Amino acid sequence: MLDSLRDYAKRRLPYEELRRLDRENEFPADVLKELYDPEILGIHLLLIPQEYGGLGGSTFDIYRVCEALAHIDLGVATSVFATFLGSDPIRVGGTEEQRRFWLGKIAKERLLAAYGATEPDAGSDLVALSTRAAHVVKNGKIAGYRITGNKQWISNGGVADLAVILALAPGGPSWFVVEKGTEGFSANAHEDKHGIRLSNTCALALDDVFVPAENLIGGVEGQGLSQAQAVFGYTRLMVAAFGLGAGWEALETAIRYSRQRIQSGGPLSQKQGYMLKLIVPHAARLEAARAFIEDTAHRLDAGKHGLQTEGSIAKLAATEAGNRAAEDAIQALGGYGYTKDFPVEKIKRDVKITCIYEGTSEMMEMTVCRGRWQEHLKSRGTYYEEQAAALDRLHASCPTVGADSAALALRALNKILEECRLQRLTRHQHVTMRLGEYIAQAETCAAFCRAASADHYSETVRFDAQTWQALCRIHARETAADICLKGAKLVLGAGAMNPGFADALGLGAILAKQAGALEDQELAMKKLAESFRSR
Amino acid sequence: MNPMKIVVCVKQVPDTTEVQVDPQTGTLIRAGVPSILNPYDHFAVEKALELKAEHGAEVSVLTMGPPQAQAVLRLALALGADRAMLLSDRLFAGSDTWATSYALGRAIRKLGRTDLILCGQQAIDGDTAQVGPGIAQNLRIPQITFCDQVEIEDRQLKARHHIDDGHEIVQARLPVLCTMTPPQDYRPRHPSFPRVVQAMGKVLETWTALEIGAEPGMIGLKGSPTQVDRVYAPPQKEKGVVFTGTAAELAGRILDILQKENFLTP
Repeated sequence: MLDSLRDYAKRRLPYEELRRLDRENEFPADVLKELYDPEILGIHLLLIPQEYGGLGGSTFDIYRVCEALAHIDLGVATSVFATFLGSDPIRVGGTEEQRRFWLGKIAKERLLAAYGATEPDAGSDLVALSTRAAHVVKNGKIAGYRITGNKQWISNGGVADLAVILALAPGGPSWFVVEKGTEGFSANAHEDKHGIRLSNTCALALDDVFVPAENLIGGVEGQGLSQAQAVFGYTRLMVAAFGLGAGWEALETAIRYSRQRIQSGGPLSQKQGYMLKLIVPHAARLEAARAFIEDTAHRLDAGKHGLQTEGSIAKLAATEAGNRAAEDAIQALGGYGYTKDFPVEKIKRDVKITCIYEGTSEMMEMTVCRGRWQEHLKSRGTYYEEQAAALDRLHASCPTVGADSAALALRALNKILEECRLQRLTRHQHVTMRLGEYIAQAETCAAFCRAASADHYSETVRFDAQTWQALCRIHARETAADICLKGAKLVLGAGAMNPGFADALGLGAILAKQAGALEDQELAMKKLAESFRSR
Repeated sequence: MNPMKIVVCVKQVPDTTEVQVDPQTGTLIRAGVPSILNPYDHFAVEKALELKAEHGAEVSVLTMGPPQAQAVLRLALALGADRAMLLSDRLFAGSDTWATSYALGRAIRKLGRTDLILCGQQAIDGDTAQVGPGIAQNLRIPQITFCDQVEIEDRQLKARHHIDDGHEIVQARLPVLCTMTPPQDYRPRHPSFPRVVQAMGKVLETWTALEIGAEPGMIGLKGSPTQVDRVYAPPQKEKGVVFTGTAAELAGRILDILQKENFLTP
């Protein structure tokens, strides 16, 4: 399937064409039509359950397609994703009849959908929703709703055949299906964006738009926010895959370039200062994010529900890693990177959106901290201690992935959380958000250690065990030092120095584990350069 | 009349656009290189499916290789092939082109009546172009190599066969084997997502040496007369020199060179 997608992109979306669409701020309607054509690709069918005419792809399948799409173009990826998001409230909250009707229609008629939640004054904070849905009563029964309000930053907004709109009904926030062309329903001009410019983004206006009662998703008012929440574990994983794919695309471009570019008598790919700063750390962070995404995808496919915290960790880790990788890819290409002749400049503009949409990185930090803070309290401080002990056992059986450093990272994190509890430091928003960042980094690190110590790697891993484990050790060392040092600074900056706190963080042991870091980075540098030859 | 039966022989190969050659040993570095359906075979599969669309036919794809070679059969099924057979057995290991042709020939015999066999002109990893002709020889049927077009009418096959400085139109009565040469600008067609999923549900048959009645002495290393002594990249040809001018001027230039290089005795 991925070959089919890549082959299509090679033929239909070469860089020159993507560059033109980006420059002209043009939505490639014909490309989306072809992507949805079941004889050409039929990509949207992957997102629709089999019983409604789709292919019912697993979370893992969808992650892989999302990553592949992001390698091609994040704007195209976003357009495909928006249809998925737009059909989600129906899939999750719709009645059987609604699912059969609407999902069947999207599958068969290849409809583009849009997800209309965000408003000018209600982004991450959906409780501030101001779009209203009023009852239309006929013969004493609710015959329909009249919806009035504005939606902002809606992907596919101007091109979607149908939109799901979140509005405040008398019984509470609820989702409604609104079809294109309904009277009073209009889209403003396509936004002039920093990146993903070919993805159509519009504000939507609803002026007394009538929808019949059967368009209320789930048939009961007031379910809207829980329906929106229910899919975050899943949808954020897809955006995580976008960050991963775009980040790797930028990094690969930089690596291929480094092999060709001769400076002072040798290719950049052999310059330690260049590779260890601009390439290797990003490869380690991206692969750590991959390990976490895959772990979460497998758990969702095994029937685990929710996993909002995991989805948020995956999104935070992968999109921030992707964004940083793209930033340094420009630096790695020097003057060329700063021009539009090379794709990294565009990738950098595109990938930034992954840190913003489907919940900003800052919202992710808060969500992650909120979720895990509860676990820390409920477990009376044993939540991360138990995970650290599991990593100790892993290190005993597989000493080559840096699980010992990862265990130290989790223990340091545990002490920091406990100190924050004792000193009531989470009353500071800054503290909770930084804790969210450390938690995401620590859990990603642990997932990487587990994945890198497996006997068989996922088919997505493009490196041999020696390389992947070196990247894992690099990430584990960095994580342990980051959490210990930044966490100590955070606690001391916000509260008081309690006796024993600094010692309990294990700084000495963490510093001792830094031995061999340079050797590992040099190994990774050599292997990365070998893995991506010049095109 | 029974529908025509077409067999396409295919091979899984490393994607040589991604492959690097070890300068010391001269062998391909295959680690981490994706495997693909040999592009010439991909073209042969597409041609078979075109003939199926035109005349109605049962298209079977056949390959010999390790279990992972199933991937190329799945691709052929997704493209529209009806049946797929994998010859997989430790006894086949080490087969050269001769032993491979023999094994594929045995498998085709097992399939019963076959009207047309299509192969790619060669595989992009070994580049021998020997297996297709070897199969025809084994089956004692006519062969037409390096074809870019095939038409069938009244059990008569007409093919356009490439030669060094043009092409010939060659006819043969079925059954016949053709090796296929795609046009310069050929890009393999890939199946859509629904077709890939449908193909996952199709049965893929695996046959052993015993099941195709292969004689143990004819397959594997034992059945392979070719022994690879050394693999190396041939030295690059030096670039030629092009002269322009009138016939008289050119004749003069050539004479000068021939004299200078001592090709002419005075």
